[in-house]
Amino acid sequence: MNRRTFWGFTLPSVFVMATLMVVPLVATIWLSMNQLFLRDINNPSFIGLDNYREVLGDEEFWAAARFTLVFVAITVPVQMLMGLGVALLLDTVERVRAIYLAALLLPFIVTPVVGTLIYKDLFDRGGLVAWLWEVISGDPFIVTASNVKWLIIVQAIWHVMPFAMVTFFAGLQTLPGSRVEAASIDGASYFRQLWHVTLPHLRVLILFVALVSIMDAYRVYDSVFVFAGSRFTEAHTLQVYTVEVAVDPQIGRVGKGNAIGVLNVIGIFVVLIPFLVISYKDQIRERH
Amino acid sequence: MADVQLEKINKIYPNGFHAVHDLTLDLADGEFLVLVGPSGCGKSTALRMVAGLEEISGGDLMIGDRRVNDVEPRDRDIAMVFQNYALYPQMSVRDNIGFPLRLKKVEKKARKQQENQAAGILELMEQMDKKPATLSGGQRQRVAMGRAIVRRPSLFLMDEPLSNLDAKLRVQMRAEISGIQRDLGVTTIYVTHDQVEAMTMGDRVAVLKDGHLQQVSDPETLYAEPANVFVAAFIGSPSMNLTEGVVSADGDNYKVTMGDQTVGLSASFVESRPALSGYLDKPVIVGFRPEDLEDAALMPGHPADQRLKATVGIREALGAETLIHFSINSTAVDSGDPDALDELGDDSETRCTARFSPKTKVKRGEEIDISIVSDAMHFFDRQTHLAIR
Repeated sequence: MNRRTFWGFTLPSVFVMATLMVVPLVATIWLSMNQLFLRDINNPSFIGLDNYREVLGDEEFWAAARFTLVFVAITVPVQMLMGLGVALLLDTVERVRAIYLAALLLPFIVTPVVGTLIYKDLFDRGGLVAWLWEVISGDPFIVTASNVKWLIIVQAIWHVMPFAMVTFFAGLQTLPGSRVEAASIDGASYFRQLWHVTLPHLRVLILFVALVSIMDAYRVYDSVFVFAGSRFTEAHTLQVYTVEVAVDPQIGRVGKGNAIGVLNVIGIFVVLIPFLVISYKDQIRERH
Repeated sequence: MADVQLEKINKIYPNGFHAVHDLTLDLADGEFLVLVGPSGCGKSTALRMVAGLEEISGGDLMIGDRRVNDVEPRDRDIAMVFQNYALYPQMSVRDNIGFPLRLKKVEKKARKQQENQAAGILELMEQMDKKPATLSGGQRQRVAMGRAIVRRPSLFLMDEPLSNLDAKLRVQMRAEISGIQRDLGVTTIYVTHDQVEAMTMGDRVAVLKDGHLQQVSDPETLYAEPANVFVAAFIGSPSMNLTEGVVSADGDNYKVTMGDQTVGLSASFVESRPALSGYLDKPVIVGFRPEDLEDAALMPGHPADQRLKATVGIREALGAETLIHFSINSTAVDSGDPDALDELGDDSETRCTARFSPKTKVKRGEEIDISIVSDAMHFFDRQTHLAIR
């Protein structure tokens, strides 16, 4: 291939990547090194790494980071396991599969904010869960700083589980039936079949879902915003905290916000490194 | 090792489709039985019922002296080889072969020894550490065989195991599988749609069509004495020529008329088929194999009344033989094979094939005489399609 053809094919995507990813990233890094306020957006002043020093010394930042990690560590494995379980069950359904599938996908289709509001209603005074709680325990159900984190986590699992489910379900459809049959004749019990045939077949998808779910969970915003708002700052995640810092109309500190943004990118990378390494190794192995 | 009995086995699907009707087969210990038939004849369904992958709707399945209708596949003491091999892609060849042993909790040292033994039989020692994806089709087929033989089951089930291989390899593996089966002496049911495989591999061959057993016997009998029109057409390549004709007698002189062709039949031949006398002067289905036809110019001593007159159509020189296509003007017969090509044009002509010696000098378009061995002809009832004997 000559040089012109090469650039002819690659330049359009290089251009898109550059304008949509490289430029904003460089701009973010630049802004993070400036003192810049929302109400005075045209007057940045360079202050080096001061924003970073301030963020890293900020207890609110560390609280948000801790909760974000807990959130990721709980929601991702739980929703993946549940998604796998539901996909396996759905695979055994023979009639009106499409209806089950559509019903199961519903939480994922609903707009996150709407989904959270509906869910929140369950726990508000007069809501079904709050009412049940009161009937059973005798005390009224009150959303507190300690249980709001769990409510957010459960809601997140309910909301994203269909993504894992539908991905695994699609993967199960491509599993050759004869391979499962061979295993059943070879003497494998259901769980052995799952372990030796089904899961290895889904391996790539499991990695994929893990990657996407981790990124998604790390960047959770809508549900926390709706649920915790400014009432329960303990339940703030990194994204909510970032927005709080950067776009508050009064004190909006754009420079500091961008510094948190850069730290977020680094954080996501660190969390994802093991998965990226595994999937890279897989791809290398497939080529040989 | 065990004998196997299928006793009036039926398969009816929930949608009412009756895939297998009253299939009864007896396999002796160590026997190689081939189930053969066109696509959709129920042969794979029958095999899958024996494997336990499909539920049996009716009848009894005995392996050894155990009724296994309701026994799980893994407890039937069987091994199966699938058409697409069904290997476990993430496991090495060794682990694939050893998988059934591992599930049986065979101790590691004994397992390794048995894996090596199976691999030795199949010449897979060099490939033991490779993954299936890096193997050729033939090697994958061997691994699948290895996984089957390593457990020393009492019954092998093979579902078209050679149909994904190219023609040359198929011929080689055909002989190899037969050889291994005979050495191990394991009772085997082998499903194929390829009648050549059926004829070359089976101790006995069971021909199925539309879920009904047509005939089961050794390959020689199947070829020489087909029970009906379908078996006659299905077994043999190229297929038997089938057309409508009338057998008539003039004193002791018998003849068969097919359109404007008349061929003499010997009295001894007619006498050896007593039922044929009941069909005199009535339309019957006449069958004659391509190999019972020869260029009359090469057979000067052949009786003059055992000849067809024909115009040479397409001529296919295959080296060891030359196939000649020609037509005779009598009504064609549909054997009922759904895989056979539909005859072009109307049914008033029958397209025939002859298998000549390569010494033949006939050319396309030439009018020729074809010697026919009339003692090798077959006659079938026009309504029931059953052989007249």
